[in-house]
Amino acid sequence: MSVVVPLPHRPARAAPVLRPARGIARALGIGFTLALSTAAAQTSLLTPEQRATLPAAATHPVDFVRDIQPIFEASCLQCHGRGKAKGSFSIETRADFLLGGDRGEPIVPGDSAHSLVVEMISGLSPDDVMPEKGKRLTADQVALFRAWIDQGLPWPDSVNFHRLEPANLRPRDVGTPEAAPGLEHPLDRWVDRYLRAQGATWPAIVDDRTFARRAWFDTVGLPPPPEALADFLNDPAPNRRERLVQRLLADDQAYAEHWLSFWNDLLRNDYRGTGYIDGGRKQITGWLYTALARNLPYDQFVAQLIHPNAEAEGFTRGILWRGAVGNASMVPAMQASQNVAQVFLGVNLKCASCHDSFINEYTLADAYGLASVFSDAPLEVAECDKPTGEFAQVKFLYAELGGIDPKAGPEARKQRLVELITGKGNGRLPRTIVNRFWQRLLGHGLVEPVDEMDRPAWSPEILDWLAEDLVAHGYDLKHLLTRILTSRTYQLASVGLSETSESFVFRGPVVRRLSAEQFSDSLRFVTLGDYGKAATRYNRNVGLSDLGDALPLRPSWIWPTAGAERAAAPGGYVFKRTFTLPAGPTVATLAVAADDNYTLRVNGSQLGNSARRASTSADHYDLTPHLCAGENVVELIAENLPPDDHRGDPIPADKIDNPAGLLAYLRIRIGDEVHDVATDRQWTAVPLRPANPAAAAAPLAVVELGGVELSPWRLGPDFLDVAAAAPDTRPIARASLVAADPLMVALGRPNREQVVTVRQETATTLQALEMTNGGTLAALLRAGAQRVLAPTGGDLPAVIDGLYRRSLARPPTDAERALALDLVRAAPNPTAGIEDLIWALTMLPEFQLLR
Amino acid sequence: MNLDLFSLQAAWRRTQPDAWTRRRFLQTASVATLAALAGAAPRSLRAASQTPRLPATADRVIVLWMGGGMAHTETFDPKRFTPYSTGLDPNTVLSTFPSIPTAVEGVRFSEGLEQIASVMDRGTLLRGMQAADLGFILHSRHQYNWHTGYVPPQTVAAPHLGAWIARTLGPMDPAVPAFINIGQRFDLGEGEELKAFTTAGFLGSEYGPFNVPFPEQAADAVRPPAGMGPDRFADRNKFYRRLLETSPIGQEGSDFQKESLLRAMDNAHRLLSSPASRAFDLSLEPLESTRRYFPGYQPGQRFDAPLDRFGGRYEVGMVGRFGLGCLLARRLCEVGARFIEVTTEYIPFLNWDTHENGHSRLVGMKRMIDAPIAQLVRDLEERGLLDRTLIVLASEFSRDMMMEGKPEKAVKDQVPVPEVITDPKHYGMHRHFTAAGSVLLFGGGMRRGHVHGITADERPCRTLKDPVTITELHATVYAALGIPPDHGYDVEKRPFYVTSDGKGVPVRSLFARA
Repeated sequence: MSVVVPLPHRPARAAPVLRPARGIARALGIGFTLALSTAAAQTSLLTPEQRATLPAAATHPVDFVRDIQPIFEASCLQCHGRGKAKGSFSIETRADFLLGGDRGEPIVPGDSAHSLVVEMISGLSPDDVMPEKGKRLTADQVALFRAWIDQGLPWPDSVNFHRLEPANLRPRDVGTPEAAPGLEHPLDRWVDRYLRAQGATWPAIVDDRTFARRAWFDTVGLPPPPEALADFLNDPAPNRRERLVQRLLADDQAYAEHWLSFWNDLLRNDYRGTGYIDGGRKQITGWLYTALARNLPYDQFVAQLIHPNAEAEGFTRGILWRGAVGNASMVPAMQASQNVAQVFLGVNLKCASCHDSFINEYTLADAYGLASVFSDAPLEVAECDKPTGEFAQVKFLYAELGGIDPKAGPEARKQRLVELITGKGNGRLPRTIVNRFWQRLLGHGLVEPVDEMDRPAWSPEILDWLAEDLVAHGYDLKHLLTRILTSRTYQLASVGLSETSESFVFRGPVVRRLSAEQFSDSLRFVTLGDYGKAATRYNRNVGLSDLGDALPLRPSWIWPTAGAERAAAPGGYVFKRTFTLPAGPTVATLAVAADDNYTLRVNGSQLGNSARRASTSADHYDLTPHLCAGENVVELIAENLPPDDHRGDPIPADKIDNPAGLLAYLRIRIGDEVHDVATDRQWTAVPLRPANPAAAAAPLAVVELGGVELSPWRLGPDFLDVAAAAPDTRPIARASLVAADPLMVALGRPNREQVVTVRQETATTLQALEMTNGGTLAALLRAGAQRVLAPTGGDLPAVIDGLYRRSLARPPTDAERALALDLVRAAPNPTAGIEDLIWALTMLPEFQLLR
Repeated sequence: MNLDLFSLQAAWRRTQPDAWTRRRFLQTASVATLAALAGAAPRSLRAASQTPRLPATADRVIVLWMGGGMAHTETFDPKRFTPYSTGLDPNTVLSTFPSIPTAVEGVRFSEGLEQIASVMDRGTLLRGMQAADLGFILHSRHQYNWHTGYVPPQTVAAPHLGAWIARTLGPMDPAVPAFINIGQRFDLGEGEELKAFTTAGFLGSEYGPFNVPFPEQAADAVRPPAGMGPDRFADRNKFYRRLLETSPIGQEGSDFQKESLLRAMDNAHRLLSSPASRAFDLSLEPLESTRRYFPGYQPGQRFDAPLDRFGGRYEVGMVGRFGLGCLLARRLCEVGARFIEVTTEYIPFLNWDTHENGHSRLVGMKRMIDAPIAQLVRDLEERGLLDRTLIVLASEFSRDMMMEGKPEKAVKDQVPVPEVITDPKHYGMHRHFTAAGSVLLFGGGMRRGHVHGITADERPCRTLKDPVTITELHATVYAALGIPPDHGYDVEKRPFYVTSDGKGVPVRSLFARA
C-alpha cells in the first residue's frame, strides 16, 4: 500500500543555499562540512523544444513497488543506493531522494517536466544522461517516472534501499540431523541431506592406501613413510582412519612446517622478497611458527595479527618499496585494511580502496574506515588517487556487528576491531576459515571464489555447522581438520575437475595437485635429502615438546635514557657486559631483540647482526664455541634510527624520537651449573658516535625500561622460550622454511607480494621445461640417486622397491619392477639409471596428483 | 572464477558434436584453453575495446634495456662538452663526451656511439621520455613502473610488457616461448624487486618469462640437463611413457589435472626437440658474424665470473655479454620469437648505475652496446625482418651531475657532489634525473631518421617539447602490434588494462604511416 507523504515546501533551484555536502562527507560520517550548492547556477538542461518531446506522464495511479522500484533496481541503485551516493545523491529512502545531491534539487514538486531527474533520465540532453552506465530508461519508464512525481512521489515507509545484510555474517545454529547407520559423523549427516535433496546416493569411499596418502599430505604435507603406512594398513581397528588422523595431527612440528606455507601465502610472509631490502617489510615467521606449533586458537591467532606485538606486526605493516607510495590506495594502512578484510572475512576491498566498488557492496568509506584503525594519523581520502580533502573516519564494515569509537586512540581502536572480528556475533570469521580449509582439503570451496564470502555456499548448512562447531570447540583449527578428515565425505573417491557440471554439484573431493612445497619436500623425502639451514630464525623446539626450562633470570629492555620505550633520540650505543666463567661452557645460547637494530660482538669477534630495521623479533645465536674460561665480553651495538629515512618525505620533528630498546638473554651452562646473563642494570653503554671522538667516552649507566611484556614490543613468554631453547643444528627438511628456488617458483610458489589464497593448479609448459631440463631438479636428482644407492650395496630391486614405496605409497607391480630394472641396467651407470627412475616416478600424475 | 569455468564448459559442450569426447578435447586443447577451463587464467574483458583497432605495423618487439639509468646527455642527446680538468666546477658540466654526427643531418649523438649513429637513418629518437615521480629513487621500482605501466605495490600482480603481449598475441611459433628475457640475473642486489615485475603476474605463469641470464649459455636452456647426453635424455622420456602406460593408475580414466600435466610435458619435449631450439645455440653462428656483435669474441668465452673479479672495470669485462644477447635476439627473431628483452643487466652501482666514475665507466657501456645494436638493426634489415620488428631501447630514467629527480620535484640527493672536482671519479652523471630521457626506436612501422622531442641545452636539461610518458610509449608499442590501449583482462572481477586504466594514447606521429 502506498502512503503519500506531503512534499517539503521548498522552492526548487532557487536562491543559493548553504547545505551539507553529502556523499563522501556523509558516508564517512563527517558532519558540518559545508559546501556551496551549485543549485543557483543550475539552468534547465532541456530547451523548450526538447521538453515538448518528453514522453507524457502516465495517467494511471502509480504504485511505487510495482512501477518505480524495478526502474530503481535496474538503472539507479548501482550508484545511488545500497550505501553508495554518487554525486552525493542517494535514493535509499524517500527523504534521501528529496534531499538531492551535488546537482541540486532533484524534482520540482508536481511538475515532472521541469524536474532535473526527468530531464536527465529522458536522455534528451546527450551530455548529461542518467544512468551514465547501465540500462537507459525507455519512454514508458520515463512516463511512469513523470506520473510518480506528478502524483506526489508515493513511497511506502516500509521500502528502502539501504545496504543489504551480507550473507554468511550472523552465526547460525543449524542443529544436527538425526544419525543414520553408517552416518554418525555430523558432517556426513548434512552431506547426506544434500545428496538426497539432489536425488543422489553416496559414492564409494577410497581404499586405505589412497586415504593414507591424502591424510598424510593434508596434515603434514608429506607422503606416508613406508613403515608407518604398513602399521596403518595392518591396524585391524575399525576406526583406524580416525586414529591415523589424530596421530598425524599430534605431530606439532610437522603440522606447523606444512601449514606454514598456507599461512605464509595468506599473510604475505617470506624470507626474501620486495621491501626487505631496507626495512619496508618485516617477517612474522617466529610468531607464526610458534602459533601453529602450539595450535593457537584461531580467534586469538587473528587477534594477535590485528593487534600485534613486535613479532607479529609484519602482517599489518604491509610492504613498502623505497620511495614515496605512488598510489593512495596502497599506503600501509590501506594494505592492512584490504588484507584484514580479505584474509579473515573473505571480502575484496581492493576496488573499494579507490572508489565505491562496482563488483560488490563495499564503498570507499568502508575501505578507509577500516584502514583508519591501522593509522596513527587521520587518513585523507583519495578517490581514484585524487585527494578529496576529506578525512576518513574510523568505521567497521558491518554496522550490524557494532562500531568503533572515532575518539578512541590507536591501541583502543585495534582492540575494538579485535572484539568485532573475533567476537561471537561475527559468524563470518569462522565461516571464512572453514571455507578456506574445505577448499584446501576437498579442492572446491563451499563458497567460491573463496574471497567472496558475501556469496551463499552451495550448502549453507554444511558451512554453518562446521563454523559453529569450530567456535564451540574454542576455535581449535586442528579440531576443524579432524572433523573434515574423519568424515566419510572426505573419504569419497575423487572427481576430476572437468567432471563437475555447469553449476557446482558435490560428488566428492576434486583431484588436487601437489603444491610446489609438497612436491619439493616429497622429492627430498624420496631421495632422503634435506635443505640444509633454515632461511630464518625461529624456535623449532616449540613444536617438539614442552620446554619446561624455567629461566633463572628475567631480562629487561634497556637503554641509557628513561622512557625510551616511548621515545628516544636517534643514535646508537655499544652495550657491554663483562663476566667471568670458571670453565668453557657446555652450552651457551643468546636470544636478542633490538629496536631498531643490533650487531653482536663476543670477545672481539663479530658474530652477526640484524636487518637494518625491523629487528624487534627474537634472534637466537649459539655462543658455545665463542665463550671461554676466564673473562668474557659480550657487546651488542644497538641503534635507534629516525623513522622512514628512505621514503623521500621530510620527517616531522615530533616523529624523530621513537622507541628504542635492547633485550637479551644469555643462557650459559657448564655441566649442570647455571651462569646466565640477561640485560639489566649491570650492562653499560658507550655512545657509538660520541660528540667528542677524541675524548674516551665514559660508560653510561643503563635504565631498566621493563620486562618482556613491555609495550610497544610485548614479546612476552615467546622470547623466554627462544632464550631457553637449546641450539638447533639439525637440517631443515621442509620447503616452507627456506626461500623459494627456481623449481618451486616454476611450480607456483608465489613471491608473496600479494595475498594468495588459491594457487594456480594448471600445469604449464614453462613449468614442464623446468622439470625436464632445469638445473635445480637435475642437481637434486643426481645427489638424490647417490644417497639412495649408497647404503644398499647395489641391490637394485630393493632400491626400486623403496623408491616406489616412498614416492607412490605402494610397491611396484611386477611389470613396473621389470621395466625399472631394464632402465637402470641400460643406463651408463647405476646412479644415472636411478636418477632417471626417480625423475620418471616423480613426473607421474600418480605422484603429482592427490586423488 | 569457477562460475566462469562452468559457463565456459557448458558453452563448450553445447558447441561440440557428440563424436568429440571430452578426452579428445583435452588432448587437443592448448594449455591456455585448459587453463581457462580450470578458471586459472583471467578472461579477456567481455566488452569490446572502445578504441578502433588499427592494422598492426609490427609482429614482434625487442626491448633493449639499459638498466640502471642511462644519462641522455651522455648518449643520444649530447649537450655542451666540458673536458675533465682538476678544479672543474661541476655545475658547468653537462656532457663529459664530445658529440658526433649521425646518419641524419642535424642529429648528434655522444662520442662512443658511432655505429648506432650510422643507422640512425633507420631510427626514431624520442628525447622527451618522462619517468614517473616515485620519490626517493629505487631503480627497480622505476623499472617495475616502466615494464608494467603500474606503480608498485599493487593489489594484484601486474604483468610485464612481454607477458601482456604473450597473452594477447600468443607465440608466433608454438615451439618458441613467447616471452624471452635475456641477460638478467635475479640473485644480485634488488633481485626480489626485479622478480616482482619480471612475471606474468595475474595472467598466469604460462605467459611468464623464459629467462636466459647468460646468452652464451642459452643452449643449456633447451638442452638436456648437464651431464645427460641426448640418447639418455630420449631414453628417459621413453621410459617415462612406458611407465605411464604400465602404471595401474595411468590406465584409469582421465581428468583435467592429469591431461594438463601430460600436455605440459609433451609441449616441453616438443620445444626441446624442435628445430627452432637450435636458435638458442650461439655456437652455430659463424664466427665472423658473432664478432660483428662482439668484436673480440673467443668461442667458449663465458661471463659468469663473480662480480668482484673485475677490479673496478666491470663494464669493460662485460662488453661482449650484451652483444651476444643481441645476437641471440636476432637468431630468435628468425625462428619466430614474439617478445624479447635484452638487458645490459641491472646490478646496483654497476653498468649504467654510475654513482662514481661516471665518465670512464660509460666508455665501457658504450662499447658494450654500440656495435651489437647497430648490427642487430642491419641484420634484421638484411633479413627483411626489421619492418615487422619493433626495437625499443630504453632506460628507467636519465642521470645528471647535479639534479636528483626533476626541477619541480627534486628529491633527496643520494650521491654527494663536491663543489670543485679534483678527482676523475667525480666526473660523470651520478644523480638520478627524471625530467627527460632518450628512447630509441627502430623498425616496426616507426618513422626513419626522425626525432621527437626537444630538451634544454642548459641545466636542467629537461624536456621542452613533446614529452612522452611511459603510458604513451606503451600505447605506441601496443598500437604497433595492433593491440588497443584499453585491451584488458578481468582479474578478481575488475578490469585490468594493458596501459594504465586503459587510457594510454599512442604517439601517432612516430608511425611512418600515421
